[in-house]
Amino acid sequence: MDLENIQPKSVLDTRGLTCPMPLLKTKKALKEMVSGEILEILGTDPGSKKDIPDFGNKGGNQFIGMQDSSEGYTRYFIKKG
Amino acid sequence: MKTELQNYYSAVFDQEWPSWLAGILLAIIALMIFLWQSPWGVAAGYNNWGDWVFHLAGAGAYKERPLVSWLHPVSLSNAGILSGAFVSALMARQFKIHPAPKLEYVKGLVGGILMGTGAAMAKGCNVGGFYSAVAMMSAGGFAMMIGLFAGAWVGLRYLLWEMEHLPGQTVHSEPKDKKKSKSFDWKKIQPYIGVLVVLGVIIAFYVYAFLNKTQLGGWLFFGFLIGMVMHRSRFCFVRAFRDPFMTGEATMVKAVVISIIIYFAGSSVIKWSYLQEPSMGVYHPFVLGSLIGGFIFGIGMLLAGGCATSTLWRVGEGQTKLMVNLVSFALSDSLASKFLVTSGLDKKLGQDIFLPDVLTWQITIPFMLVFFLTWVLVAMWNEKTEKFVIF
Repeated sequence: MDLENIQPKSVLDTRGLTCPMPLLKTKKALKEMVSGEILEILGTDPGSKKDIPDFGNKGGNQFIGMQDSSEGYTRYFIKKG
Repeated sequence: MKTELQNYYSAVFDQEWPSWLAGILLAIIALMIFLWQSPWGVAAGYNNWGDWVFHLAGAGAYKERPLVSWLHPVSLSNAGILSGAFVSALMARQFKIHPAPKLEYVKGLVGGILMGTGAAMAKGCNVGGFYSAVAMMSAGGFAMMIGLFAGAWVGLRYLLWEMEHLPGQTVHSEPKDKKKSKSFDWKKIQPYIGVLVVLGVIIAFYVYAFLNKTQLGGWLFFGFLIGMVMHRSRFCFVRAFRDPFMTGEATMVKAVVISIIIYFAGSSVIKWSYLQEPSMGVYHPFVLGSLIGGFIFGIGMLLAGGCATSTLWRVGEGQTKLMVNLVSFALSDSLASKFLVTSGLDKKLGQDIFLPDVLTWQITIPFMLVFFLTWVLVAMWNEKTEKFVIF
């Protein structure tokens, strides 16, 4: 999927937060969304690069992809299942 | 040839190692440390650093000069873990100073105070008080494990409350301007700095050997290996206690259990054959000290987002929140230990129990296996059913 032109329903900013906060906030944000909607997560924790994709594929959700931005953070996309 | 080497480099230094592999490696290194001198711990090193701060500040109870940190085995292995994680982050071109929002620093600070207090009561952190303790068959290790679970549960409850009630804070890094991209590219030379640090550790080992202190040099070197392994795999004891309540994930439980079973198997061979004193590494206050200490430590590690070991390797990759945590852990561990000893309270917290003395070897070994396999099975069942997940 083309990550550049993706239209997320909401954006969750976790920049500066460390394990486990990005994951907790992702779980909470996904709970408040409807099936089919896309959540974008911004993060700087190195641990998130494995945690968020792993978690994103659990519970019927789908991890779409991630992309490093030029400003030093990473964007993650999860589709609510 | 060149691409093959690049692939190997990437497999070792870029890609994350599976946690079960790290668990096996960790147990092997821990056994080498046990044979080298005595079981692996971490908190005593923090304690030594804290003692020095108070001694230098001229605090009354700290008149006596603490052991010099570069002659203190646990302080050296901690320095090894720090440098190992630093090298690992450099080799992956990942080292970066990570700033954090204000609230996170407060949590690092408070978490460290709780962790230091808990470790002082249990006479060990998640490593000396739990991981090494259970492998050495000290009853206190099991009491601390129960405390850690309870503390992790309470700590997670707090994090959930915080998420609902306190405004979220984040740190926005300024977008790089064009001038900056022209300047020196640190990322490219990181692996070379890493190689220099490795050389430094090797030279330090030879210097210790030359000064007839080979055993101390070994602590530094083993710590270095642990730091590499833990950072490469992001091995984290906190997760084994937290994830079953948070996401239900059992990955780290499996890794910790594999590690404990190997560590314990090796230590039974070493102890039963008297290669080392059977009661070595058994000094944990069963039951109160280990249980309450574990509980307080457990809350602290959730707030901090790191235990004694993962704080070290996270500092090694540049996380500032954990740097705050390291300092407050060291200071509070030193203060709490001093208080427990001078007040005589440490005598009332319990006594050390070596399981084979009570249960015999014939029962201790199957008990250990059944106990830890049960932990894994429950965690795997929980992964499917999410029965213990509170959020």
